[in-house]
Amino acid sequence: MNNARWSLPAICAVALIGASRPTTASNFAGTPVTSSAGNLTTCASTEVLVAAAADLRFAMDSLVAVFSRENPGITVKPTYGSSGNFFEQIKNGAPFDLFFSADVDYPRQLKTQNKTASDVHIYGTGQLVLWSKTLDPARDKMNTLLDKSVAKIAIANPAHAPYGKRAEESLHHYNLYNKVKDKLIFGENIAQTAQYAQSGAAEVGMIALSLALSPAMRQAGGKYWLVPSIAHQPLLQGFVLLPHSNGNAGAGKFAEFCESAVAKNILGAFGFGEGPDR
Amino acid sequence: MIDWLPLWLSLRLALVTTVILFVLGIPLSYWLAYSRRRWKVVAEACISLPMVLPPTVLGFYLLLAFSPDGSFGRVLDHYFDIRLVFTFQGLVVASLIYSLPFMVNPLLAGFKNLPPHLLEASRTLGKSDWTTLRRILLPNMRPSLITGAILAFAHTIGEFGVVMMIGGAIPGRTRVASVAIYDEVQSMNYHLANRYAAVLLIFSFSILLVVYLINHHFSQSKAVV
Amino acid sequence: MNAPPVHLSFRATKMLHTAQGRQLFDVAFNLPQGLLLAVCGPSGAGKTTLLRILAGLTDTDSGDIAMGGDVWLDHSRRISLPTRRRPLGFVFQDFALFPHLTVRGQLEFALPKNADRSIIDDLLRLMELEELQHRRPALLSGGQQQRIAIARAIARRPRLLLLDEPLSALDDEMRSKLQDYIARAHRHFHLTTILVSHYLPEIFSLSDEVIILEGGKISKQGAPASLFPKDKITGNLRLTGEIIDIAAAGGLSVIHVLAAGTTIHVVCPAGEAANRRVGQTVTVAYRDLNPVICE
Repeated sequence: MNNARWSLPAICAVALIGASRPTTASNFAGTPVTSSAGNLTTCASTEVLVAAAADLRFAMDSLVAVFSRENPGITVKPTYGSSGNFFEQIKNGAPFDLFFSADVDYPRQLKTQNKTASDVHIYGTGQLVLWSKTLDPARDKMNTLLDKSVAKIAIANPAHAPYGKRAEESLHHYNLYNKVKDKLIFGENIAQTAQYAQSGAAEVGMIALSLALSPAMRQAGGKYWLVPSIAHQPLLQGFVLLPHSNGNAGAGKFAEFCESAVAKNILGAFGFGEGPDR
Repeated sequence: MIDWLPLWLSLRLALVTTVILFVLGIPLSYWLAYSRRRWKVVAEACISLPMVLPPTVLGFYLLLAFSPDGSFGRVLDHYFDIRLVFTFQGLVVASLIYSLPFMVNPLLAGFKNLPPHLLEASRTLGKSDWTTLRRILLPNMRPSLITGAILAFAHTIGEFGVVMMIGGAIPGRTRVASVAIYDEVQSMNYHLANRYAAVLLIFSFSILLVVYLINHHFSQSKAVV
Repeated sequence: MNAPPVHLSFRATKMLHTAQGRQLFDVAFNLPQGLLLAVCGPSGAGKTTLLRILAGLTDTDSGDIAMGGDVWLDHSRRISLPTRRRPLGFVFQDFALFPHLTVRGQLEFALPKNADRSIIDDLLRLMELEELQHRRPALLSGGQQQRIAIARAIARRPRLLLLDEPLSALDDEMRSKLQDYIARAHRHFHLTTILVSHYLPEIFSLSDEVIILEGGKISKQGAPASLFPKDKITGNLRLTGEIIDIAAAGGLSVIHVLAAGTTIHVVCPAGEAANRRVGQTVTVAYRDLNPVICE
């Protein structure tokens, strides 16, 4: 009786750990997986892990939905975050197959460090907007930030989020930085920044156009104004295949898809302008 | 529609961590309770360190330690084919360190609160320390054992900072419920975030309720008639 | 008459840190087989320390202990047999019964794996515990718990039985009954027994030999009758009080005197107590350790 008390937890421990060890097919061993498209997939399908910049949050969902319809055996799993964070994680061996960055500089750095499995592909230009639920930024443009009712201004963290860096540059360009720096609150990535603005935690946010065009932000009934591109460095967006994807046919297919005309249309609809020619 | 995967991941992480901590925690707290070595105090402080350390600090150092770029991580990767960053196993290791004091401290208190002569009486009856632990000490410490298991479990379910640092929020592997809630809030899917949070809340509350009922039952049956 | 063979030889020193400061425990004695030795003395004298050193529960600064030719402790050669390998039984002052086991369970636990189980029923009968064998200790009285503790200590047929103030928590009626049980067990199982007590009636009625400890050292040693002679009064302390009870214990009387806020138990032969009555005001003097009414 006493021995049984001890063997039971021990067996559970072994079983659970054993079950959690990924197989070489890099899938959940024996556990059914629900993809974001709602398909029930089994061990035999391919999984593609994508590290995507937070400004792609809604655009990528659409890309994945369209791709999955044509390729039911391939499950694409995006994880969203700030490009700078992903850059660090990937350098430290994070198991992603593709990296979509809001600043093409990051994938380029990875390439020079020989940590990529393909060339860097530019998929568009990001654009910075002022967004507010309570005020109309198109009226006062940058001076909206000086409005008396604005207590907090949300920008992405300039240390590792490309949109945050550009927001800072814009503020300096218009000589507003010193006047508003005490009101700045920093989102961990551009999506969180948008969420701060959408929830009213900040009266104004400097966010990505792609997010301002998203259903959630539209529903919130805010207004936005495009910050002129001369105010900051361009936000060239680029993606790259990573070494983890070697042997993963599905990753290659998805990469191809993202270069296709269909994908470019979707990205365009979400406000990602054309490539460097613009 | 609710995706049960993050909840299932959180549950598995907490279960695995709690079971392992239980097996490791008993000999460790036994040693702390009865050892007379001077440097025992250092060990106690080290074990309790995760309680006062900000989770992100712990996560950061674990990231450095386990990264395949670093020497330790490289050994793990090269010889054992084990990666501890951005994997479920890595979360387990991190949780073991992070939740250890929540298992050890109740157990230690349990050992210290035992009537002092139980251990000695058992020795005078010719029993080994292992037999004494198994048949005399632990059966008289049930509330502490339960408390330790529950605290470790609950603490692991709620883990966020460490997971964010070394987890990578990878769906199906490291995107546990706490991270999923954070994620859904960022996506402004508030009703989905609400659902995850509600499930976690109800689940955690039910566990606590069951545990307190069990504890209550034990203390009732011990009451002197 | 031939001296019985020496069965237990004990010699130990230890520096004790008591409430009164540092005290050197330095005791040596030999005990023949089958005898019952009483150890008495004021509190803090080292009586419990002696038992614990014998049991291996406390270590020493120096010492040798051997029983029946087996070395239990040889400090100079760094030999110390762990407690569980010494064939002894220990009855703790607080009984130390296992709360989660029934009476029968305590005895079953005490037995080694392949031992004959019939001794359990023997002991239950001897200690009159048969009806209680399936109860847990928490529900039992002090006297019952005491009997269980003794039975448990004897279950694995030790060669040496150690009892630490076994009767101090009991009332007088229980005490005399329990003295009976101890005596029975000692004879029935042919034990060598060491009993710590500061209660004279039981020392007189049970022991073959007495050691008086004071300040960690033996101040007197010998047969009970020789240690407590009745004529000399050297008492320095005199207290005045009132008799509140007179009780019989064996062939002796115990007179309870309330003096200076405490109850002093005075032992005397039954005849002497005949002309004392409850309520009488008396003066008590301490002679060595033996209080005697002198007025």
